[in-house]
Amino acid sequence: MSSNNNQPVLEDVSVIVAGQGGDGSLTVITMLAELFRHSGLNVYTERDVLSRIRGGHAAATMRAFTGEKYCIGSNITLLLALDQEAVEKNAWQLDSKSIVVYDDSGGPVPPDLLPEGIRLYAAPFNRIAMRTMRRELYKNSIAFGVVGRLLGLEDESIRETFTKRFQRMGQVILEYNLEALGLGLHLADEMGIHEGEGLYRIEHATPEERLLIIGNESVAFGFMAAGGRFFTGYPITPSSEVLETLQKWLPRCGGVARQTEDELAAINMAIGASLTGTRTMVATSGPGFSLMQEGIGHSGSAEVPMVIVDCQRSGPSTGMPTKPEQSDLNLMVFGGHGDFPRIVLTPGHPEDCFYLAAQATNLADKYQCPVYIAMDQAISQNIATVKPFDLDGLAVETGKRLEKEDLEKLDAYKRYELTEDNISPFAAPGTPGGMSLVTGNEHDEWGLVSTDPENRIRMMNKRMDKIELARNELPRARHFGDPDGEIGFIGTGMLFGVILEAIEILDNDGLKAQYLQPRTIWPVLEDILEFIDKCSRVYVVELNAQAQLAHLLIHQGADSGKLLNILRYDGIPFRPGELVKRVFEEESRFMDNQKREAKAQ
Amino acid sequence: MTTQPHTKTFTPSRPIWCAGCGDFAVKGVLEKSLQNMGVAPHNLMLLAGIGCSGTIQNNIECYGYHALHGRVLPAAIGAKLANPDLTVVAAGGDGDGYAIGAGHLVHTFKSNPSITYIVMNNSNYGLTKGQASPTSPTGYRDNAEEGMDAIMLGLSLPSTTFLARGFSGNPEQLEKLMDAALEHTGSGKGFAFLEVLSPCVTYYDTHRDWRARVYNLDEDEGFDPSNRTLAFGRVLELREEGRIPIGRIYKGEHASLESLIVNRDELPPAQQKIGKNGHGKHYEKFIKSYLG
Repeated sequence: MSSNNNQPVLEDVSVIVAGQGGDGSLTVITMLAELFRHSGLNVYTERDVLSRIRGGHAAATMRAFTGEKYCIGSNITLLLALDQEAVEKNAWQLDSKSIVVYDDSGGPVPPDLLPEGIRLYAAPFNRIAMRTMRRELYKNSIAFGVVGRLLGLEDESIRETFTKRFQRMGQVILEYNLEALGLGLHLADEMGIHEGEGLYRIEHATPEERLLIIGNESVAFGFMAAGGRFFTGYPITPSSEVLETLQKWLPRCGGVARQTEDELAAINMAIGASLTGTRTMVATSGPGFSLMQEGIGHSGSAEVPMVIVDCQRSGPSTGMPTKPEQSDLNLMVFGGHGDFPRIVLTPGHPEDCFYLAAQATNLADKYQCPVYIAMDQAISQNIATVKPFDLDGLAVETGKRLEKEDLEKLDAYKRYELTEDNISPFAAPGTPGGMSLVTGNEHDEWGLVSTDPENRIRMMNKRMDKIELARNELPRARHFGDPDGEIGFIGTGMLFGVILEAIEILDNDGLKAQYLQPRTIWPVLEDILEFIDKCSRVYVVELNAQAQLAHLLIHQGADSGKLLNILRYDGIPFRPGELVKRVFEEESRFMDNQKREAKAQ
Repeated sequence: MTTQPHTKTFTPSRPIWCAGCGDFAVKGVLEKSLQNMGVAPHNLMLLAGIGCSGTIQNNIECYGYHALHGRVLPAAIGAKLANPDLTVVAAGGDGDGYAIGAGHLVHTFKSNPSITYIVMNNSNYGLTKGQASPTSPTGYRDNAEEGMDAIMLGLSLPSTTFLARGFSGNPEQLEKLMDAALEHTGSGKGFAFLEVLSPCVTYYDTHRDWRARVYNLDEDEGFDPSNRTLAFGRVLELREEGRIPIGRIYKGEHASLESLIVNRDELPPAQQKIGKNGHGKHYEKFIKSYLG
């Protein structure tokens, strides 16, 4: 193998593969991710698909990099466009330094579509696939040869990854794909892109142990690791992988994961399981989350522990099922009829999903109330490299439980006993001496239905005050950037990586900024309010139309005069560069306003 | 017997039902059957829906749960799957089970978990003052629709294993049916569906009417409850004759839900010790699969 040392070392590339749904964009991206991970790089991927199996524009993006990054970058290195629409839909992400590999089976790419000076490699992948293999299906494997060479990957390692990926699907499929890859590599030679002469040199580091995982899988394992043993769900994008992962793994350790007939059954079956003292979780999204509201309120009032994963997608109603949004915040914090306690945690990366899921499982058991994990489609489904989870550091705390021997020592066992910390000890069905009543009706300490006004006040206060007690141990926000930075950022979920990178860019542009990533959004903890206090203004970046997070913070005492909103609800994830542009626009508007106000005085 | 004080747990309260309500018979028979079958109170999970019948768990010594309206079946299935060693009994009315909860009934017939479900059918919504229910006949108040028959619904699903109907006016037979239902679920044979005709004396007193119309299949020598085709035919015929079939209507065999999905090589979910590294070796395997 020849190697040219003049090529730059690959430190940060972003690749988009786009075509029609079913073209295999996601497969190409996933294989690229595996290849780069094997070369010791970290990766982050993103998908942009429609809610259908075939057809319609579909794209996937992968970023491979050294060091730590948590989003797709601002600059796209290479676009593999399997048709013209792929160029039209993604041109906005390209600049003059980008490279386009284009399938020109259907004709050349219209020149005005691409930024000036862009490097274009065109080849008829589709036509070659049809001519040689009689199947359009193989065009992405042919194109892989060209893209792999351009990115500096070695032929042999590409073959290995192909073998690993397609072996599962049978020998025939593997052979066809390897043949197609061979055609692609041959084609690359013809185009003058020889092995070892790509755009980059990949410095093979000893790969650190990294999992290649999506947030939904990670959340499933956090739950399992914290003793979670019962899960129910109904398939819904983008939460289905939580169900699929747990259906595969939970039964192995004696747990149960069940697909129910609807979300009403899912939440109520979970409640039934939780009543037996089993650690239980449900996962859903959008419409399913709305359907679960009654059950979640019941879990709050009957004091039945429950973890609810909400993989937020674009709403309302059926909305845009495959697009990320953060518009269920109001429903998580204020949803359900009546007053009941709840906790809302929010991870910013697939890695954090594991730890917060474990913590949510502990908290639900301890405080006997619903605990949400607020995800968004990107956190749920983007694939990222993640350090193996720290199981030794994982705290598994149990709630207040009474066994037979404990019960024997008691004069009386009351399921809803009023206690100093407002948490009533729990005896699981099957335990002698622990017979008790659980109900969502207002009840007395025994669990017997009661409308007595004084009892009502005591019981309501008991439930609501549990959250005050929980405050001390809820996950704190993480702070990044310059602690003296004038402007601040607050954002959750997938925006974590984007804001983190945006403040770096701002810093290079001379604007000192700091970022607070809340990991608990209900109750609102003091750390968020203190952060707002010390910044001169704070951009609350959110994926929704109503600025739900900003309003929540104002409701909890934040100075509304300091908060500026950057909102997005078009279904497209932010790139750091775009966010920076939006910030500068807002900044100049802000400065103009200041001047105008100063003049008016 | 239920008003005796218990030293350590809740004291079962007096039923809230009107004097003469059919539900008293159901409660009495259930208590008797639980004794007959040797179910200890601490191993009994009694879940009830919303409605007059949905208060029965308050009147019996048990681990009781008051479900959301229409959701008693999923809750009962969750409890059974999490701890298959419990005796799980779900109870509710015809509104709870056949209207708001109808979807779950279909899927419980389909999935066949070993739980007993007692539907106290009074053919109206008693607790909300007598509105028409799914089993109300045409002409009851302004009801224009034909009443439904949940036994026929059960017969139409291939995985049903136990269908019976009792009458609160015939507690001796009801006890046999209840015993059989508890035996069916206790031995892990699947879902025992027991509808009890339980007249509402206040809003829709059907006691005399039903007594005149019930037809006891248990006493019909030509009837064979293991023959689904025969059972469906008889139920349909009797209905067309204006009769209401009671007794053991169908008993079949099908794998129970918990036998299919609870891994009995391990302790069931509710009996596992929660603690560090409870996932042990499985977790290591999982990590490997994601390391690639």
